[in-house]
Amino acid sequence: MNDVLTSLLTLSGALLVLAAAIGVLRLPDVLCRAHAVAKALTLGIFLMLLGLWVDQGQKQAALKIFLAIFFQVVTIPIGSHLIALLAFEKNIPRWRHRPIEDHRRAGGSNAVPHPGGGTPSSDESDRPAH
Amino acid sequence: MMTITLYAAFGILGLAIVLGLLRLARGPTVIDRILAFDLITTCAVGMIVLLCIQWKTALYLELILVFSLLGFCGTVAFVHYLSRTQDLELPDRPGGKSGHE
Repeated sequence: MNDVLTSLLTLSGALLVLAAAIGVLRLPDVLCRAHAVAKALTLGIFLMLLGLWVDQGQKQAALKIFLAIFFQVVTIPIGSHLIALLAFEKNIPRWRHRPIEDHRRAGGSNAVPHPGGGTPSSDESDRPAH
Repeated sequence: MMTITLYAAFGILGLAIVLGLLRLARGPTVIDRILAFDLITTCAVGMIVLLCIQWKTALYLELILVFSLLGFCGTVAFVHYLSRTQDLELPDRPGGKSGHE
């Protein structure tokens, strides 16, 4: 029973880590990649450490595993948030699926959004290169 | 069944590390490389967890704590260093302002 539960938790955690890796490789933007790392990687490593906790259930190991789980769950979103803040502050070119209003430029002339208007041509210039 | 699952999880984590290395090699900015570094560090932590399960020992739990601490400190140090530099090397930026507030 413990073996089955450990196998299930470990395998699902590894699959979530793989999903995070695929997201880091495939998503088009720094902010999207930070999003993938923050969610999928946190849940994946959380499930793997839970599998370790199920596998060896002594008390000292449980304390250390709880510390490891707490540390991972706290630090991975903080790191991803710092990276997203850095990308926002350095004004990295962002991926535009469709022309939307950028709120960083909302103090200019186009403060009122035009839902039916033409596509602004300035959005074409700051796409990522790939 | 346990060994098969553990080997499958090892393979999956190795594939995740390879994908992270691909992003580390061809990331357009430094920030992508920091993200890939974070991913690879967490994959290493997951591999240590798998080793703990396979060898049925609790010796490597401190190693898990140390690795996660090192990965987080590396990320914070990179971000702190890059946030006080003026310009990142970007492929094509149409004259946006760099953050020197």
